[in-house]
Amino acid sequence: MNRNYLLLTALLIILSGGLLFLPEKSDINRENPEDLMWDIVQPTRYLSTDKVAKMIIEKDPLLLLIDVREDYEFEEFTLPGAVNVPFDSILTDYADEILSIEDVNTVLISNDDIRADQAWVIAKRLGYKNIYVMKGGLNCWITTIIQPVEPAETSPITEFELYKFRLGASAYFTGAEIPEESGEKKKLNVTRRKKETVVEGGC
Amino acid sequence: MHIHELNPKKTIIALSVFIVVIVIGLSSISGPRLEYKLSPAETIELITWEEGYVYPYELEDILGGVVDTVILIDIRNNFDFSRGHIPGAENISAIELLNEENISRLKKLKKEGMCVMIYGDSQLHANGPWMIYRQLGFNNVKLLLGGYDYYAQWKDNLADTYAEDGYLLGMPRHDYADVAANAGIFDEDDGDNKKPLNITRRKKTTVVEGGC
Repeated sequence: MNRNYLLLTALLIILSGGLLFLPEKSDINRENPEDLMWDIVQPTRYLSTDKVAKMIIEKDPLLLLIDVREDYEFEEFTLPGAVNVPFDSILTDYADEILSIEDVNTVLISNDDIRADQAWVIAKRLGYKNIYVMKGGLNCWITTIIQPVEPAETSPITEFELYKFRLGASAYFTGAEIPEESGEKKKLNVTRRKKETVVEGGC
Repeated sequence: MHIHELNPKKTIIALSVFIVVIVIGLSSISGPRLEYKLSPAETIELITWEEGYVYPYELEDILGGVVDTVILIDIRNNFDFSRGHIPGAENISAIELLNEENISRLKKLKKEGMCVMIYGDSQLHANGPWMIYRQLGFNNVKLLLGGYDYYAQWKDNLADTYAEDGYLLGMPRHDYADVAANAGIFDEDDGDNKKPLNITRRKKTTVVEGGC
């Protein structure tokens, strides 16, 4: 064997050993700041309370509500089907299990939207997908869905349609739906929609 | 016998090219342009720090010149900015905030001990950019509570906002369980359902607190 070959081989092995000492790419950079900023300036993460109400009423199987308020607040009141992941515990394994469920639309709710939005930024940085924020939060939920205000007579027809929907939703959430027994955290049942071979809807 | 071995110089050339390539490769490894300085756990803590926020009543001192270490940045779009803004603010829309130019300027301001207060339409609007800045390590960046909309409503008597809570977010404004159980659709009397809010207000200070 030629000495030169041995030399080159030794050099390669030493260099490849150096790979072991490369700084480990830290986990906290899953979404880089520029991409995160780009996501932040998009208003698409906000869902209106009406939209959320509609999804709950339709029992949308792809909807996953996460209440980021404290557990005592959650036990007092929450939206039907919501699970509780307090803001402080967003880095726990329990939160990870819930947030990493794929193919569902996760909607974060809090008293207003600010805490949910903060949770959104952190979850987004951690790389979770399909996460939304309910705009206005529960305060807005009360004033729009539970206690809707009748629009002025001069309002456009769409306002009245919306009001009609809200009246129905209000009845649904206050009357038809018996409040869940509080205390235990709900177990998560992800029901997947059946695959349709035919195109749904009229068009 | 390999053709190589006829000429020992070739081995040396090959070796040196090999080394040069590796050296170039190693030296061109560079970290990302922007890196998070805070871990997610630290970010969660940061949200509850009060030093990160500017309260509307503190604007009185900032605009009155009592505090002169604060730069105001309006992150709304040009159109909204041209229709009205807080005096002295400059307009950098959210998407431009991470430009090379703005980042190096921020670094300079941080070194000089200057504070940067950013605001949008509401607290929510500027929340994301503020969180990014904070996570990038700019702990001199503060967020105006209430945002421009609240300022515009109170601009003539900013000091009075000390006794007001309209800008404070994150707390329940209703007793949800009670309202949801009793309100129904025909209950127009929502005045009684409101629960008195318990607000813990921090002491009024004349100077903007914090490290800068």
